[in-house]
Amino acid sequence: MNLKVDKNLAASITLHVLVIGWGLVSFSARSLEAPPPESMPVDIISADQLSKLTAGAKTGEKDKPKPLVEKVADARPVDDTVGKITEKPPVETAVAPTPPPKPVEKPVEKKPDPPKPVAENKPKDEPKPIEKKPDPPKVDPIAEALKTDDSKKQPPKPEAKAAPQQPPKPKQERTFDQSKIAALLDKRDPTRQAATGAQLNSQASLGAAKGNAATLSQSELDALRARLTKLWNVQAGTERPEELIVDIRIRLTPDRRLAAPPEIVSQGSSPRYQAAADAAMRAVLQGQPFDMLQSATYEQWKDMIVTFDPRQMFHS
Amino acid sequence: MSVTSFRLPPLALSRRHALIGGAAASLLLPSLARAQTRLQITEGNVAPLPIAIPNFVAGTPADGEVGVGVSQVITNNLKRSGLFAPIDQAAFIEKISNIDAAPQFQSWKTINAQALVTGRMTRQPDGRLKAEFRLWDVAAGQQLTGQQYFTSPEYWRRIAHIISDQIYERLTGEKGYFDSRVVFVDETGSKERRVKRLALMDQDGANVRYLTRGADLVLTPRFSPSTQEITYMEFGQGDPRVYLFNVETGQREIVGNFPGMSFSPRFSPDGQRVIMSLQQGGNSNLFVMDLRSKSTTRLTDTPAIDTSPSYAPDGSRLCFESDRGGKPQIYVMPASGGPAQRISFGEGSYSTPVWSPRGDYIAFTKQGGGQFSIGIMKTDGSGERLLTSGFHNEGPTFAPNGRVLMFFRDPGGNGGPSLFTVDISGRNEQRVPTPGFASDPAWSPLLS
Repeated sequence: MNLKVDKNLAASITLHVLVIGWGLVSFSARSLEAPPPESMPVDIISADQLSKLTAGAKTGEKDKPKPLVEKVADARPVDDTVGKITEKPPVETAVAPTPPPKPVEKPVEKKPDPPKPVAENKPKDEPKPIEKKPDPPKVDPIAEALKTDDSKKQPPKPEAKAAPQQPPKPKQERTFDQSKIAALLDKRDPTRQAATGAQLNSQASLGAAKGNAATLSQSELDALRARLTKLWNVQAGTERPEELIVDIRIRLTPDRRLAAPPEIVSQGSSPRYQAAADAAMRAVLQGQPFDMLQSATYEQWKDMIVTFDPRQMFHS
Repeated sequence: MSVTSFRLPPLALSRRHALIGGAAASLLLPSLARAQTRLQITEGNVAPLPIAIPNFVAGTPADGEVGVGVSQVITNNLKRSGLFAPIDQAAFIEKISNIDAAPQFQSWKTINAQALVTGRMTRQPDGRLKAEFRLWDVAAGQQLTGQQYFTSPEYWRRIAHIISDQIYERLTGEKGYFDSRVVFVDETGSKERRVKRLALMDQDGANVRYLTRGADLVLTPRFSPSTQEITYMEFGQGDPRVYLFNVETGQREIVGNFPGMSFSPRFSPDGQRVIMSLQQGGNSNLFVMDLRSKSTTRLTDTPAIDTSPSYAPDGSRLCFESDRGGKPQIYVMPASGGPAQRISFGEGSYSTPVWSPRGDYIAFTKQGGGQFSIGIMKTDGSGERLLTSGFHNEGPTFAPNGRVLMFFRDPGGNGGPSLFTVDISGRNEQRVPTPGFASDPAWSPLLS
């Protein structure tokens, strides 16, 4: 018995690692590269209008709603941070309309719950159209049903997991019943329907189709670039500019001032590099406060890396 | 994959769970970290750095004058380099009285100073002069560098030059060139009866002293790397000879007795040898003489005029001017002799090549189309760039940091030549003040 389990276990582990690895590659976030300023057809609106347009406010006009999608319909199984849940057939889309809250065991047993880790891993501060209702009376029947289940509530989940709304999970040892574990994990209203769609979208928004709600607008980036360009003092006739590329990491408070002394993250030891790094630092220090940045996009500009690259100025 | 439910010993399972869950979670962690915004700045503001240099504080009441003098020398040096823009003292808000306390950076930010120099001169009881300075970064509110020096009072200008070098190095990353001297040929008198004397001065034009009396014609003075000796050509009795002049002692000696005429002497980088061209018959060839043993070696043996040699700073090669190909061109050759390679290929004729002390460029005089130009090229001949043109520019010499060139320009007519400096990027051409007309400059290495 043990041996058989181990083989299964090993296969399960391998497949999980493969799946997670693939998920990392395909779902990893790309760093937000500030696009180079190129000419494009221009509509003159103010910066805050633009930000509002793409803000994705809950109370905004329902222009083109882009709903929350937690599960891709007909797609492959989604990552599961909790680990040891074996794969379930993912095809099941949201089925039954609201079953009454009381008879909880039935929906728990029959309906394989949609996986929730995608939602759990989102950062906290995004608007969710569906509220989570921790529902204490419901937990108990589930708890009873699962009282022999094993508890897996101490996964070392990352803190970014948006879990504050979840009630503390029962920590008793239980025999493992994976179908019930799923229900146990899902602390949301069990009557919730899983949102499916063609493409995973962890952030619901009402607004432009692209729905990338809180990103730095082009105008903000350009204004920031313009200010740093004006303040960055470069010596005329600089030779070998490729040795003088400086990367500075800046962290800003919501006041748009430096939260800490800027950090030079590029490498270099020559006196010329030191002088170039000093000049870049001076530009950043003198640029405060960076009042062209909008509060709405704070998450995007609170931690930036600015690269000062003089190569284009000094072609030899 | 089929779903099976199975039983396991709870303990083993939970440990395994924790491990796997932990591993999986930690794998996902990087992707959960927020991607960082990156911004590229590819253009900057090309302008001289605004710097504030208040008068140096007087440590004792008698030091006020020297304090003002030092700050003026520093201001002048930095301004002439073209890389700094000293702010007018009338605009200063804070009056510095104690350099050991931090300045009020806000008041310097208000006048847009990016750097601040404070200093103090104090006459010591034993008669020496103590000079202290601090260089501050106004935006960061920090001291960048600070030093103190002791010297005899009459050398206060040298201290000012040394401090200028420190400031220059810290803010540009390049070595400075202010603490150096220039030897040149001072010309006075009318055009027909020009009196030419050897003269020595600080690179900013101060402290001029004459090394010869002008009875004989002197040409092409050059500094030794040890800076205490100058080699030059003098048309004395009979043929022109190469001389060695010791600046400290004032003594001079003939480098060698050679039949025929000797021209354009230069020291080797180690100061032990002098290379020159000797004319025999209709052609001239390069010879090296060891100053200790007085032995001479012939380096070229062509029926052409090979002259104006200049060593590379590492002493392994030298460049010279030769017309073996027809017009004068620049050639590079190993220092011990051997095949010479031509590196100049432009229109016109090239002469007076000089190898930069940094080893990366060769400066030359180019003649063509009625114009004389001073230019530089890389040591393989590529990247040729003309820095100034006119009639008649000649005789470039590099500053010790290889970033600035000095040359002389003769406007023709009844006037006389003057000395000019220009940055190797072609910018910031400045006239060097000399008591009279001046030609044939040679820049010394850094004195310190």
